[in-house]
Amino acid sequence: MVAGQDLKKVPDTPAEMAEMLRRASEQKLSVVLRGAGTKLDWGRSPQRVDATLSTRGLHRLIAHQHGDLTATIEAGVSLRDVNVALSLHKQWLPLDPPFAADATIGGILATNDSGPLRHRYGTPRDLVIGTEVATADGVLAKSGGQVVKNVAGYDLSKLLAGSFGSLAAIVSATFKLSPLPAASRTLVAAARDPDELGTFVRAVMASQLEPIAFEVHVPSFALLLRFASVPAAVDAQARAAEMMLGAAKLVDGDAERALWSEHNERVWMGAGAIVRASWLPANIATAIGELKACAATAGVIEIEMLGRAAVGAGLIRIEGDPKAQARAIEQLRRSASFGNVVLRRGSAELKALVDVWDGHADRQPLFASLKRAFDPQGILSAGRGPL
Amino acid sequence: MDRAFLDELRQIVGGDGLLEDPLELLTYECDALPHLRESPAAVVLPDSASQIQAIVRLCAREGVPFVPRGHGTGLSGGALPVPGGVVIALSRLNRVLKVDIANQRVTVEPGVTNLEITHQVAPFGYYYAPDPSSQQVCSIGGNVAENSGGAHCLKYGFTVHHVLGVEAVLPDGEIAHIGGSLADTPGPDLLGLLVGSEGTLAIVTNITVRILRRPETVQTLLAAFDTIDAGGAVVSDIIAAGIIPAAVEMMDSLAIRAAEAAVHPNFPDADTILIVELDGPAAEVTSLFDIVVDTCRRHGARTIEVAQTDEQRARIWKGRKAAFAAMGRVSPNYYVQDGVVPRTRLPEVLNRIRNLEQRSGLRIGNVFHAGDGNLHPLICYDERVPGDPEKAVLVAAEILAYCIEAGGSLTGEHGIGADKSSYMPTMFTADDLSVMQRVRAAFDPKGLCNPGKVFPTPRLCGEVPGPHRAHPVETAGLAERW
Repeated sequence: MVAGQDLKKVPDTPAEMAEMLRRASEQKLSVVLRGAGTKLDWGRSPQRVDATLSTRGLHRLIAHQHGDLTATIEAGVSLRDVNVALSLHKQWLPLDPPFAADATIGGILATNDSGPLRHRYGTPRDLVIGTEVATADGVLAKSGGQVVKNVAGYDLSKLLAGSFGSLAAIVSATFKLSPLPAASRTLVAAARDPDELGTFVRAVMASQLEPIAFEVHVPSFALLLRFASVPAAVDAQARAAEMMLGAAKLVDGDAERALWSEHNERVWMGAGAIVRASWLPANIATAIGELKACAATAGVIEIEMLGRAAVGAGLIRIEGDPKAQARAIEQLRRSASFGNVVLRRGSAELKALVDVWDGHADRQPLFASLKRAFDPQGILSAGRGPL
Repeated sequence: MDRAFLDELRQIVGGDGLLEDPLELLTYECDALPHLRESPAAVVLPDSASQIQAIVRLCAREGVPFVPRGHGTGLSGGALPVPGGVVIALSRLNRVLKVDIANQRVTVEPGVTNLEITHQVAPFGYYYAPDPSSQQVCSIGGNVAENSGGAHCLKYGFTVHHVLGVEAVLPDGEIAHIGGSLADTPGPDLLGLLVGSEGTLAIVTNITVRILRRPETVQTLLAAFDTIDAGGAVVSDIIAAGIIPAAVEMMDSLAIRAAEAAVHPNFPDADTILIVELDGPAAEVTSLFDIVVDTCRRHGARTIEVAQTDEQRARIWKGRKAAFAAMGRVSPNYYVQDGVVPRTRLPEVLNRIRNLEQRSGLRIGNVFHAGDGNLHPLICYDERVPGDPEKAVLVAAEILAYCIEAGGSLTGEHGIGADKSSYMPTMFTADDLSVMQRVRAAFDPKGLCNPGKVFPTPRLCGEVPGPHRAHPVETAGLAERW
């Protein structure tokens, strides 16, 4: 039999997904799980792949309990379709990761990916309240539940968040939702230099402003603050922020939507490698200094950073030849200001030069035993990691 | 217990760090669920992560079970000792290690109390958001173990949303750093898994939490209603209007009378009271608070008291947070559960509880987080009346069954512990539980770290949860119940 022959079908039910995984385990076939495929190239270069198992047959919005502000959704539904459905009751799942138009619920949760809205609403792991998974050996198991408050049993939703499909297949998930804000407005300001950017970031963090998104961009030193609430509160906060940050531009309506869509694509449209990295938010001026130094010594053409100002997390785009990119990434990993530097987008050549994940330090033994417990045959993820 | 083992423990923690006298062990027999008690072989009081590591390594080598313990305020028997085992009490790890206001992070040892974090940062205008009713005395390590919530978690989330990282001693004695001051540790969210694992996966030795800026405005009201349905309808309408209050709490007449007798918060004598708190930017709170007031009026609120001062607000919250302790004023004994129902099913489930109250003959006080459907039925009984304690247990079990039937959960914030482990099969299938057990085995293949909690075991399957009794230190007048 040709490897993966009976794994060609797109499973239509959780039970079918579980059964296909069980057979793959039995035959030790290497399986990659796939939603919309927007992040398929994330992780290490794949080793042998016998089958790609699609979640797109799991496409039902199982329930929208609008009175309870929860929704249960199958893994293959796109975030955009979810939010179109939820908007009928003026609610949303407030996530805006890259490629939000296509990305599926399963993929977003498995990568725990997020965007600017993280400032207020957190990442998928903060919003998920229950999941059903199919393990690599074909067991369907639920954890969490349908209620927003629940501490019964282990929260396996968290274990799946950030697992990149290397532990089990998510077949459905339940999320807590938020009401859609009545009004929204975004203020765009710019600092003159890293020091002023740092001063602005600290000032906003120390203030009682409550934006739903707070972004920085380097090298433009731009700041974006989005306020969403009742109209009076949006106006009052936007005015207060303007006072704090000086000359600024205020946008709403279609212009605001266009601004955010452009912002979310900004780093991805450029050439080169993209890494995810974290820093201490109040220390951003120092971090930018290190970033510049690192670009200069590594010999890259251009370096761009965009991210959540108050969380201290974002994306860094590094343009240059793979060797220079690799030097820059190694340097960021050694720097005092940045941590958790993970390669998101990179050529095969670059991936041969630096590890995508940078190891797991003293967590490695735990990850190894979790991998053995959930995927004893090691069939999932084709060595792309993180496990 | 083996003398040589005790000697080795003493070498690790010193003479004053090891308790083995039966009288001294009494305090550690139970947590705040005192009907489940067990005497440990020894209690150790380490004062550093390296001592904890040495203790755990020794236990792992000798195959001795160990139970981590914070300040013993847990309500599900999560810190119940294991016969022949060691209790590792974390009360001496009570140092605040780092306060970083600019980055809004605080690092503490597990024995620091929840409220102490807020005390550390309050002068700078910050606070730590999760606020369990026991926050004055409960430890942050215990909060991490239980994923503690509180009245304000409706808007701000639970402990899991506020912990950024921990250092943990794993059941084999290795130390792992999970999360940290920087966001986004790569890989599966081990931190989220660890928070709420009830001390069965690791012992945390330091914890970094995020702190929040005090909101610009807080508005609190207390509204009185003639029926629990009216109160429930107000909650539904507030949520339907797109408002997420900082807190929405309900109390019924029995709970109101108890609170009144205990701390005199000047609550109205009503069938149901609702406490609603909004916080945030002034313009937002002002506008939404009017909607909340109108909603209360529309559903026939008899009185609406709006807190005009911080003192008035503090008095309302004192009455609410003292509700458990206050039950002692109206009943010799009580037993509390914390099942959860979807918010929209609240009126239905509360009416079932009221019918059960009539049928059983036991009074049931209800004080609960209405915003997130987290019930706290306080089942009153008198242990001197033959058959009453057993009846209280059956009543509690029936209420939990209502919660599961309504699509809810066995516990919203108290944990499964030893108390409710036998009910887990009513909420989860054997497959669900077996997959959770894989996690347990991956962390702790020998099953030494807080065994007998969370999962049903043959030992516990036949047991049913029991009612509240006074803790031995309470009976001795050494401590009060929170």
